[in-house]
Amino acid sequence: MLRKKGVIAFLLVMVLVLAACTEGTNTDSTSNQSDSGEDGNGGPLVIGFEADASTLMANHDVNYTTDTLIRNIYDPLIDREGETGEFVPVLAEEWENIDELTWRLKLKEGVTFHNGAQFNADAVKYSIDYILNEENGSFYRSRWANVEEVVAVSEYEVEIHTSVPFPSMIQRIAEDLLIVEPGYVEEVGIEQASNEPVGTGAYTFVDWSRDNHLKLVAYEDYWQGSPDIQEVEFRIIPEFSARMSAFMSGEIHLFKNIPVDSVEQFDSEEIGEIASSRINYLALSNLVEGPLQDVKVRQAINYAIDADELLETVLNGYGTRITGPLSQINSDYTETEDYGYDPDLAVQLIEEAGYDPNELTLTLDTPSGRYPMDSHVAQAIASQLQSIGITVNVQVNEWGRHLEKIQNRETGDMYILGWGPAFDGQSTIENLFTQEAPYSSFYQEDIEEKITQTNQLFDQDERKAGYEEIQQDLVEQAAWVPLWQQADLYAISTSLNFTQRVDEKLNVYEMSWK
Amino acid sequence: MLDFIVKRLLQVVLVVFLALTVVFFLIRLSGDPTTLFLPPDAPREQIEEYRELLGFNRPLYVQYGDFMFNAVQGDFGQSLRSGEDALSLVLQRMPATFQLAISALFLSIIIAIPLGVLSAYKRNTFFDKASVGITVIGQAIPNFWFGLILIYIFAAQLQLLPSSGGGSLSHLVLPVITLALYSVSRFVRFTRSAMLDVLSKDYIRTSRAAGAPTSRLIMKYALKNSLIPIITLVALDLGVLLGGAVITEAVFSWPGVGRLLHQSLMNRDFPIVLAGVFIIAIIYAVINFIADILYAYVNPQIRVK
Repeated sequence: MLRKKGVIAFLLVMVLVLAACTEGTNTDSTSNQSDSGEDGNGGPLVIGFEADASTLMANHDVNYTTDTLIRNIYDPLIDREGETGEFVPVLAEEWENIDELTWRLKLKEGVTFHNGAQFNADAVKYSIDYILNEENGSFYRSRWANVEEVVAVSEYEVEIHTSVPFPSMIQRIAEDLLIVEPGYVEEVGIEQASNEPVGTGAYTFVDWSRDNHLKLVAYEDYWQGSPDIQEVEFRIIPEFSARMSAFMSGEIHLFKNIPVDSVEQFDSEEIGEIASSRINYLALSNLVEGPLQDVKVRQAINYAIDADELLETVLNGYGTRITGPLSQINSDYTETEDYGYDPDLAVQLIEEAGYDPNELTLTLDTPSGRYPMDSHVAQAIASQLQSIGITVNVQVNEWGRHLEKIQNRETGDMYILGWGPAFDGQSTIENLFTQEAPYSSFYQEDIEEKITQTNQLFDQDERKAGYEEIQQDLVEQAAWVPLWQQADLYAISTSLNFTQRVDEKLNVYEMSWK
Repeated sequence: MLDFIVKRLLQVVLVVFLALTVVFFLIRLSGDPTTLFLPPDAPREQIEEYRELLGFNRPLYVQYGDFMFNAVQGDFGQSLRSGEDALSLVLQRMPATFQLAISALFLSIIIAIPLGVLSAYKRNTFFDKASVGITVIGQAIPNFWFGLILIYIFAAQLQLLPSSGGGSLSHLVLPVITLALYSVSRFVRFTRSAMLDVLSKDYIRTSRAAGAPTSRLIMKYALKNSLIPIITLVALDLGVLLGGAVITEAVFSWPGVGRLLHQSLMNRDFPIVLAGVFIIAIIYAVINFIADILYAYVNPQIRVK
């Protein structure tokens, strides 16, 4: 009997010990519902997020989630304007290219890091060197491989030397680079700096509980002025339904990516919509053996797919049609002709190419859940092609597998993919329509030549003209079936001022309470 | 007894080794992770360079040998994505998972065993039928759905409890109830049938005829003898719960091991997956070990064997 009691006592003690050793068992106030709840003004802003950052170190992980969260802690040198995507100076005041291989940036003076250290050219050099240093394993290195050296010319001037002419340097700076505090990283080491970051951004780090929350507080000495919202919590809620419930109960004030088929569950004044610079398309591969190597068949497929109808019925109208390779926000965008929907012409073209549509079988690869309604769109495309007699086998892939199939050229004739955020011609066209670039599986020698030539141009007008011609060529060659720019749908509390950005970033500094 | 323990410990080592081996090769089937980490515009030679840097260009058996050599020394490598130590990332999540699992199991036991005993004792009464009916429903309800319904009622509508996250006791309530629902149903049904089995035995009838009070009859004679299958079940469930209740953790954004593993698997962050499998395999093996010892305590016949 005594032994039995001993066992029970032991179990009870174990339960208590385990309960006590749980991470963050102290009930801190911000995760308490009543605090983060309805008291709109002045309380912490809580933003629901699908996934957590993998690290809080800047310039390391190429990942939307990581980048979006840490941009509230670190500042970039150059940013994009939220509505137009144009470059705006942040920590760099001016930039110019002195010659084809050198960029010079003039930096802002009087900016301090959260730990009081001064921002200067050394910090810029250190941040870029972090990317270039192989030992750090930064996944940005591939994009910066052309950078040879960074030189701090003076306290507030920095020069970037490249090994080849690199006209898209400013894009790289705007999209990738965030400035870290060299002294701090050196002092505490990369591991600690990855968990307790120090930047010049509008918010300073408070607490990070992985896959649970990231808490930040306003940086009072922020060089653009103290933020309106004093406390921010990014709360990680992977399930959409749980995010929706948390939003409805007032636990969170903002989240991104409402599925298009759930929009009606929200009040219309709680919905924010913006056309993203991310495009979705149906790739037509001319790199694998098959009928799609014939331009007429590719054109026929463009005629046989009614993208307007897909947008209206499958996506409930949430999206903006595109007709060429670039989104309308793209600075190099030019208007291209829409193939339109003409199934009779499609049949005619296929026959001209020497095929019988009724005997044609194509494979269509699609991810599931990566893009709005992606696999549904694939099914709908299959049935549209079916209606002119083509048999389409839809193959649904897990995302990682889908990407790998595309990179290894193992997909079927067609696949669904998205690209973005993309604001300039080069970063889309170069990565999609050259022989080495895997993401459209379309390649034509003369078009690649034009791309190579245009990429090397420094004159903005010449560049634009070059990309315009390429866009027309690609449409003519029916390089793919352009579908739409995604609509980014946000749930926004009525007590919050928040203007959605085309680059999908959530900069809390730009938000305020009503 | 020492013999018994040594044998069981060897079994633990074998189980962990086999689990790691199987998982090592299975996750490689999902493909090469470098493509997921690098930006989509990374040129081919860069991808190759990273493959070399991370060692994925070596033959699989070399990678396996290398992994095992380091794993034996407790080194599971760094997370491919963040560069942090994989094993410590997993261990950081264990307390949250422990808290959820132990609480759910505790709740299940204190509800289920009395209910099961009572059900068996009052066999074929309305109470019995109602409890069987409810447990069938409890087992049939999908976990994620039940969790979402709880969130909808108690968080979104009544606003009594937080819908997600971890940190305080109030965060624990809904996920524990969700997890316990399934275990309760299983335990009740098991306890009931085990009790019925024992209650029909001759020695119970004899004791009853001899005038033993009902409470003693049930608690001392019947329950103790019906505990063996229940202990097995509880041990199994605890293993499952400690392995991380992936779905429940995802629905309630509970920062436990299950979510970490699920995410790492989707990201192909192999070192974290393998470190997680290592921990879970050990937990399973240890729980089984404890269950065996408990059998011996409950049933002296096993001890003698």
